[in-house]
Amino acid sequence: MQSRPTIWLFGRCHVPRSGLVNIRRRTFATTLQRNAATPELFDVVCVGGGPAGLSLLAGLRASPATSGLKVALIEWQDLAKNQTHSPSPTVYSNRCSSLTPASVAYLKAIGVWNHIDHTRVQPYDGMQVWDGITDSRISFDWAETASSIIPQQSTPSSSTIAYMIENINLTSALQKHLHTLGGTTIISPARVEGITFGEETPNLDLSSWPVVSLNNGQTLAARLLVGADGANSPVRTFAGIESRGWDYGRMGVVATLQLEGPGRAGPDHKIAYQRFLPSGPVAMLPLPGNMASLVWSTLPERAMKLKSMATEHICAMVNAAFRLSAVDLTYLHTMDGGQKDEVEWREQHTRFKEEELPMKVIAVQEGSVAPFPLKMRHADTYITERVALVGDAAHTIHPLAGQGLNQGQADVASLLRTITAAVETGQDIGSQLALEQYNSERYSANNALLGVCDKLHKLYSFDSGPIVPLRSWGLQAVNSMGALKGFLMKRAAGGA
Amino acid sequence: MALPSRILRPFHLPSHLRTIPTCARLYHSYDHPPAPPYAPAEQAILSAAITHIPEHGFTQTSLSRGAQDAGYLPVSTNLFPSGVFDLVLFYLVQRRLGLGDAIATEGLDRVWEERKVGVGGRVRGLVLDRLRMNARFGVVGRWQEALAIMAQPSYIPASTTELWRLSDEIWFLAGDTSVDTSWYTKRASLSAIYAAAEVFQTQDSSAEFRDTERFLDERLGDLRKVGGTVGAVGEWVGYTASSAVNVLRSKGVRI
Repeated sequence: MQSRPTIWLFGRCHVPRSGLVNIRRRTFATTLQRNAATPELFDVVCVGGGPAGLSLLAGLRASPATSGLKVALIEWQDLAKNQTHSPSPTVYSNRCSSLTPASVAYLKAIGVWNHIDHTRVQPYDGMQVWDGITDSRISFDWAETASSIIPQQSTPSSSTIAYMIENINLTSALQKHLHTLGGTTIISPARVEGITFGEETPNLDLSSWPVVSLNNGQTLAARLLVGADGANSPVRTFAGIESRGWDYGRMGVVATLQLEGPGRAGPDHKIAYQRFLPSGPVAMLPLPGNMASLVWSTLPERAMKLKSMATEHICAMVNAAFRLSAVDLTYLHTMDGGQKDEVEWREQHTRFKEEELPMKVIAVQEGSVAPFPLKMRHADTYITERVALVGDAAHTIHPLAGQGLNQGQADVASLLRTITAAVETGQDIGSQLALEQYNSERYSANNALLGVCDKLHKLYSFDSGPIVPLRSWGLQAVNSMGALKGFLMKRAAGGA
Repeated sequence: MALPSRILRPFHLPSHLRTIPTCARLYHSYDHPPAPPYAPAEQAILSAAITHIPEHGFTQTSLSRGAQDAGYLPVSTNLFPSGVFDLVLFYLVQRRLGLGDAIATEGLDRVWEERKVGVGGRVRGLVLDRLRMNARFGVVGRWQEALAIMAQPSYIPASTTELWRLSDEIWFLAGDTSVDTSWYTKRASLSAIYAAAEVFQTQDSSAEFRDTERFLDERLGDLRKVGGTVGAVGEWVGYTASSAVNVLRSKGVRI
């Protein structure tokens, strides 16, 4: 059992990539006969090679207690392709995430942080959030907050609110780390065809073990099957766990932007901006250099219109989204063209403080504008006998606080602790009893965060009525209370 | 006049409840049309009386004239112990039944199919049809009299029942097949909207009752908004309840 993974490691490190595929194929062909009768047994099988799945396996391999487990990863996209990306410093993926210091601490602990391409990670230490209707504003800035309460604690390490990172940068670092650690059976690309319970034979009783069959004919039996397979999780469906929630009737539009400069406070002090419009929040998050990442949640027809616009008009619309009134924006969305001139004219007649706003967008990266539907889902539980769910398979959140990926990392950190404890105390890592710790640690925390983001979305979707002055008053009150603000920022940084 | 009529009455039921014959089914059959709700003599007298409403209103005079037109003595109006209210109710029942007939004769269901009119659009069309009938029979100017009669305490149950039946008829004809609690809420809300639109119509002096149409559209719009909100609130309450249970379960509480 121990020797097989070693051969895998050997093949992976020394054989050229093209040769690797051949070797893999031959291995399957020889084992296929045996697999048809009995599936190959694994301690942990993780379905889904996204940030959550990869990070779990890296964690399992890195921890001394769990490194003896036989683990496998199944991913339907070709993971080898992800690793070969050779990015240019002015081209960024539109799929970016904001990693909280808590998530970064976990990634450092399992040793992944060293593999990250740090030239493409942008920490930011300021955040400006304001109401699109009343312009009442709250600014989060560790430098200000810390100096106003406890001056001596303003150390540079605590000044970061979050790190902007491309998802591909994170996943390829995780993959690199997995390869250096070795011992993981990575099956990619392969699609899960079905998950059933195994059979009972005179020699082996697999009747309570989930058996995953893949489209390449392989079957894997798992002591613990981990579902990191996204919102439409096949593992969750197999486990019969219901996922509840609703669709927001909004689309999130992402894009990579180029700004006229590195930011208001220079390249060393980057600021994230978010404005709550009645149609949804629009956020601009800093990337290295003059680049920035856009997340604009808006009505589906507006999202489609934005995607179909010419680049210069998209720039104008993004600038307008941070400057003009909600009424102006509604009108701009009804125009069939010429938004650029219209925005220029309207900006002359709208009053705003340029120094409080993000720098102007001068270009949108070609092909980076992409809409995706926004929804909220929460599984009824994260665990059943021999099954655990992590990341999007367990919960889907509104992106307004940028917490989706961090929740997944926190899940993984907790599941890893749970598995480690089970191994150390000699328990069956797939038993529900052993996994309960994970569900108990994460369920209520995720539930609270989902609730907060959902309520923020609802609160800011009002454009008139008594709610508007009340929420503005609340925001200003929080803004003027340094201690409360510091507490909120610590919570946000901790990944809540 | 009232005393002999009571002695002569064949049934011990008030006449407005007799509008459903004793053999009335409590279910709807597509194969067997329901029996006509009125006996031939009643039908003849009341139908004739309706033509007098524009001139004489919902009054005993209209009833007597109707009896004469149908070839009966004026005194034969004692067939109707509730008097004028029987005339009001007859009008309401006839117009309600007229809705189904109109669909059959005008082939409305085919038009709906072709133009892909949803249930909401059909309900709107039927309510407007029903309101236009008031204008066609010339009762709009006299409707306040009818409302006053219907509002008398002893007639309220029969009036509201008839309103409910109209609302039920409209939803049924529009093809609503709900079998959940919305069956009740739909009928209740449409009853309220119809009653309000009818009162509005009596005050409406615009050409072809355009204002009434607008009034109706706005009320139906309100209903949709409230329906959407109620649906969203229901969804939210359901989610919150189940997530509360799930949080407790995750903490080891056995529920």
